Amino acid sequence: MEIVTVRNLSFTYPLRGEKALTDISFSVESGDYLAVCGGTGSGKSTLLYMLKKELTPRGDLAGEILFEGKRLAEIGDKDSACKIGYVMQRPEQQLVTDKVWHELSFGLENINVPSNVIHRKVAEMASYFGIEGWFEMPVDSLSGGQKQLLNLAAVMVMNPKVLILDEPTAQLDPVAAVDFLETVARLNRDMGITVILVEHRLEHVLPQCNKLLVLEDGRAVAFGKTRSVISSLEKNEQVLAGMPAAVRLYNSFHFTDECPISTGEGSLWIRKHFSNRDPRPKEKVKRSFAGPALELKDLWFKYGRKEHDVLRGTALTVYEGEIFCILGGNGSGKSTALSCAAGLLKPYHGEVRIFGKNISEYKNMLWGRELSMLPQDVQTVFLKNTVKEELEDSGACESLSVYDLKPLLDSHPYDLSGGQQQLLALTKAIASRPRLLLLDEPTKGVDTYTKERLIGLLKQYRDEGMTLVIVTHDAEFAAQIADRCALFFRGAVTSVDAPEAFFSENNFYTTAVNRMTRDYFDGCVTLDDVKEVCEKNHD
Amino acid sequence: MSEILTLPLRSLKSLKRFEDYNPIAVFVFFAGAILPAMFCLDIILLLISFAGGMSLLFSLKGKAAAKSLFLYLIVPIAGFILNPLFYHNGKTVLFLINDTPITFESAFYGMSAGLMITAVLVWFRAFSLIMTSDRLLYIFGAASPKLALILSMTLRYIPLYTRQIKKIRMASKAMGLYREDTLIDRLRGSVRVFSAMVTWGLENGVITADSMSARGYGIGRRSRYAIFGWLAFDGLLIAASAILCAGVLVGAGFYAFGFEYYPEISAVPISAASCLCYAAYGILVFIPVFINIKEGLTWRSLQSET
Repeated sequence: MEIVTVRNLSFTYPLRGEKALTDISFSVESGDYLAVCGGTGSGKSTLLYMLKKELTPRGDLAGEILFEGKRLAEIGDKDSACKIGYVMQRPEQQLVTDKVWHELSFGLENINVPSNVIHRKVAEMASYFGIEGWFEMPVDSLSGGQKQLLNLAAVMVMNPKVLILDEPTAQLDPVAAVDFLETVARLNRDMGITVILVEHRLEHVLPQCNKLLVLEDGRAVAFGKTRSVISSLEKNEQVLAGMPAAVRLYNSFHFTDECPISTGEGSLWIRKHFSNRDPRPKEKVKRSFAGPALELKDLWFKYGRKEHDVLRGTALTVYEGEIFCILGGNGSGKSTALSCAAGLLKPYHGEVRIFGKNISEYKNMLWGRELSMLPQDVQTVFLKNTVKEELEDSGACESLSVYDLKPLLDSHPYDLSGGQQQLLALTKAIASRPRLLLLDEPTKGVDTYTKERLIGLLKQYRDEGMTLVIVTHDAEFAAQIADRCALFFRGAVTSVDAPEAFFSENNFYTTAVNRMTRDYFDGCVTLDDVKEVCEKNHD
Repeated sequence: MSEILTLPLRSLKSLKRFEDYNPIAVFVFFAGAILPAMFCLDIILLLISFAGGMSLLFSLKGKAAAKSLFLYLIVPIAGFILNPLFYHNGKTVLFLINDTPITFESAFYGMSAGLMITAVLVWFRAFSLIMTSDRLLYIFGAASPKLALILSMTLRYIPLYTRQIKKIRMASKAMGLYREDTLIDRLRGSVRVFSAMVTWGLENGVITADSMSARGYGIGRRSRYAIFGWLAFDGLLIAASAILCAGVLVGAGFYAFGFEYYPEISAVPISAASCLCYAAYGILVFIPVFINIKEGLTWRSLQSET
């Protein structure tokens, strides 16, 4: 049974000439899992707004949207609120009330369900999602992943038929993101809930969804069964960039067999088509480093007198002119170490040296002339009303990355996509021409296409002599950019190595490419590596 | 009250602590315990009230309450010393300072007033320990579900905004773009943070509003989900509090007990009625401790049975 049908949908925002969506048609059967993908500005979010009556923006709408055979606009308020669930990108901002139990009951209270019925439904959902333990906690004490799970649960108590998710994992770390997507897949599988999901990163979504819709400039360029759509992506660079490594590898060769989707399938696919006579990519040029730029010596830190130590003897040296990536799990102390290095937090023991000079010897925050740090939440960096003012305010008009921001000069910083926001914040951060740049999770909320651009820019800064220290969860990113990587565990560095050696020796903290080629090729960590080796071994 | 779960009165072997009673019942109890102390400046009644309040604090906080005991006693002592310096009514002159008489009555009145303040403070302290935001919201929500939602959203926004302000401040510090050398620099910084906060708040509000309307806010009458159940015990607590408090107040109204301070200290003579009033108030203020001790004993006997 078709549950959502869209026919010849076009939409124009008021006061704008061009259409945001043009002539889109697709349909979703009950129990389907549809993933919608496309680059920044392709109209993904606008399309989702069209499917939820309460959120549809004003504008010129043509075409037809049917829900369970009825026109969407004619569905009653209560039915619309209950049957179509909607989860947005930012976990924090979607929460309405102060307690977990109140958030869960909020939707049911709105449609005037009696207390004892709410009690039953809330109890059921809380135990399904495993959130009984936080039931009476304030929402403020939850982690980002927990908040997003709560948002999902708060929608699920209303018993929706269709679940619409707009980049729900963009703000989450990889572990929480996988967890969240697993839950969504389980809802789809166990309860038969129809899912419509927009994502940039499709590594984990592809094996779960059964239909795929590809948008480009507001048009639907492909729609159909997942496998048939992805084998035809060759030319669409923006969309391809967000695909799993296996799909990207498949699309850079011209085989006619079925496209591998998961890491496991990719691994078999490589073994089928390529030999391993020459399993190594060519040795990377080792860069030579000058003196130390940042030294952390035996740092100990805790947030409160009675709390646990977050840093336990952190010691590391970053040399001038290198890109140094710090990886590690949540709460391992990576971000805290970075804040200590920037002089924002003061360790109770140990020493921070910047270009050989102890940080306390710089008077009046003068180390700020040498280093700059970009926080995780880049929205905290924006202080003005337009991109132009923002650039003028920080005196960053001549920077490299300004090129990418040219078409956006008159927009409000908050209206940019996650990737564009990151670029703008980065431009501000390097405006003071620091010699040392510290970045905290620069790829969070950034689409894969912009990520490539970010990598290019950061490498260029390095080649101009800047030293970069990057804290990240993103192994693929670190593999592409780092000169050296470090693994953080319980407040200390456990291993430091060049990325090839670092990722080849890790089992969990490694890239999909490395997992795919493990025990067959040697030392492949990035897509370029594996492409190179595959070409060498192609018969 | 149809929306509240009603459970039958079970055997008296209850394992409910006073804090876990329905917030409305607890609220009525506190009103009943505090009102007489506020209106009767009777030293015996105030002593009972203070002892009752302290016993509840002990049962809530354990030994930590002992520390505050001395702090609370400062107020009546201060009243005892300071009041006669400013008010010179009363017949019994103790001594003269610069030709102004220091009277025993005035000192005694100061102590009583101090004791009243202390007793009320102790009760409010216990009240604030027990009445967490959830419980207060439950009480307000009974009056108006809308008000309860507004309060709940406010409680959510306070920590959210405080954290964001701190983050924005840290961010501009870490970027090394803005000087912070002089007072004017710092003032400018604050204005910057404030305006960024306003923008962020508006943006934030839009998303929250979307999230609310997506879940059907504003389409009609709201109901209210109460996480606190209603047991017959709660009714008992309300009835006991109301009856005992009314008894004491009526007694005070008919001068069954009470104190005259000026010109000379004179108490209403002890009678059956006054004893009854003191006893009623004594029972009232020790109800929480009685409930908690009984809970402890029941728990222990249940443990030893197994």
